[in-house]
Amino acid sequence: MKQVRNPYGRLAMWIALALFFVYSIMPFFWTALQSLKTIRQAFARNPLFFFEPTFKNYSDLWLESSSQNLSLLGIIVLGVVVTILLLAIFSDRISIPRWLNNTVIMLLIFFLIWIVPRIVDTAEFYNYFVNSVIVTTGVIIISMSFSSLAGYALARFSKIDGVIILIAALAFRALPRMAYALPYYSLGQLTGFHDTYVMVILVLVAANQPFSVWMLRAFFAEIPKELDEQAKIDGLGPLAAFWRIILPSAWPGIISTALFTLLLAYNEFLIVRVLTQKKWTLPVAIAQFTGGEAPGHLTLAAAAAVSATVPIIIIIMMFQKHLVKGLTGGAVKG
Amino acid sequence: MNRKTFYRFTAPSNLLMLTLMVFPIVVAVFMSFHFVTFRNIGSPEFNGVQNYIYILSDPKFWQAFRFSILIVIVTVPFQLVIGFIVALLLDQVQTRLRGILLAGFLLPFIVVPVVGTMMYKQLFQVGGLYAWFFELIFNQSFVFNSTSVRTLILFQLIWYATPYPLVVFFAGLQTLPETHLEAAEVDGASKFQQVFYVILPHLRPLLLMATMILIMDMYRMFDTILVMTEQNPIYHAENLMMYNFRIGMQVQRLGRANATAVITILCVLVVLIPWLRKTYLQVMEKE
Repeated sequence: MKQVRNPYGRLAMWIALALFFVYSIMPFFWTALQSLKTIRQAFARNPLFFFEPTFKNYSDLWLESSSQNLSLLGIIVLGVVVTILLLAIFSDRISIPRWLNNTVIMLLIFFLIWIVPRIVDTAEFYNYFVNSVIVTTGVIIISMSFSSLAGYALARFSKIDGVIILIAALAFRALPRMAYALPYYSLGQLTGFHDTYVMVILVLVAANQPFSVWMLRAFFAEIPKELDEQAKIDGLGPLAAFWRIILPSAWPGIISTALFTLLLAYNEFLIVRVLTQKKWTLPVAIAQFTGGEAPGHLTLAAAAAVSATVPIIIIIMMFQKHLVKGLTGGAVKG
Repeated sequence: MNRKTFYRFTAPSNLLMLTLMVFPIVVAVFMSFHFVTFRNIGSPEFNGVQNYIYILSDPKFWQAFRFSILIVIVTVPFQLVIGFIVALLLDQVQTRLRGILLAGFLLPFIVVPVVGTMMYKQLFQVGGLYAWFFELIFNQSFVFNSTSVRTLILFQLIWYATPYPLVVFFAGLQTLPETHLEAAEVDGASKFQQVFYVILPHLRPLLLMATMILIMDMYRMFDTILVMTEQNPIYHAENLMMYNFRIGMQVQRLGRANATAVITILCVLVVLIPWLRKTYLQVMEKE
């Protein structure tokens, strides 16, 4: 729409936007503040805005009490993070292939996660974080390889059975989680798959399939069909055509879908809660803190909440465009 | 693409959905007609429709049912209206601030729901900022009771899900042809008339999609209620999912829990089927 010119109108608009912005992020701001307070400060009758921050909550959360080697840890973490950042920033300037660069970054991240508990005594919370990383990575890899194949096929095949599969997938998306988590709980108990990564990952992949198939179908539909025909003329079979021609031109859509898959796996509470005994991911572990009656849980829970949110904030800063694109699910062209 | 290639491509995904979604639902329906607890998972006893009779005559179930419906009826219109207004306002911003604002608006929606609820709740707990405001304004301290917790759940859900319609409408506004609005302006339409007669019709397909997805997500909302109530029955703030979870995981009556799950599916079908039909017609028409 054309810009509103009326100065009062513009002022009102800015006030409304600012208020909504503050309202949206206030819980994050406040929890971050609480996480840096002592218990006494956090429970102060008049909320404190200025105080000497303490990182005790974070060290209590992540580390066992008798931790040494903190400076060594600091050096290693700093070294790896700087290397990752350099690789990410200068990926275009150095003459190694993109995929190699990305693989090195991924390996470095896994190395970092692996090395930390070997240097310092990490607390239970670190294990939950590692569980989250394992489950999320597993779900992304399996779900994306299945659903990109299916999404492409559904975009190119428009007979009645294709449409029926699409509609069935949409129906599955609406299903309450309990409906399929519970039977798996019983089956897991019977077969001994309860409380394993495999079970959680597979059920999460299934929960994610309908949504990612729809999203990818919309993205693949935007890729011109002429590419398929060109590949056919060049003598490529359907799978080779998909792998060499279609997939490379579908990367933006795949990244969008992968992002939402990541969020689904990282955020999921109910499925993980029902299917695990001790292999909790972060949401389930954090929900435990809120159940506690001890006052110390307030600041500790705040530290846990902030810790779990930092990766999400990094993601939103790096991939905002893909997120917006993904939310509209290809429903908006242009 | 021919049919054979199509099935080869979709096989992994179809197989997964078949084994991990269709099969469990069949199991759920089967178990819902049996007496099953943790002791006899391997050998359920058939007990007819007793589970259903028990659930449908349980006042707690109807309480949960009413609260589920209340959540959908109250939160979805607010999410849509606020989302639409903020999208219109954000569309007016042309500077770099747009990205920053959008990132902030998106945050509640993509943060871990359990964590988001905890953070929202902390504002109202002892020492919290909003609890302090509340005390300043109403001159009494904020107490967690049945009314306040239920209200807080509604507020939190609006805070949490509004970014979704907001972003959908915002993206839709970017594709609105400028000429439509110019034509309306030449005809002397006011800003309000432009919104109602040009922008809203343009966003209609998106509005339908966003509404359906919001209804389904609010209906099956679980995380927010779990964290807000801490499963404490004194707040009477159970929805169908919580009720289902409690019967299954705490009371450990798996037969009854599965019967509840079947009932919740049947309820969601009421809104789902017309929408599925419409989508089906749309997809068929396009091809």
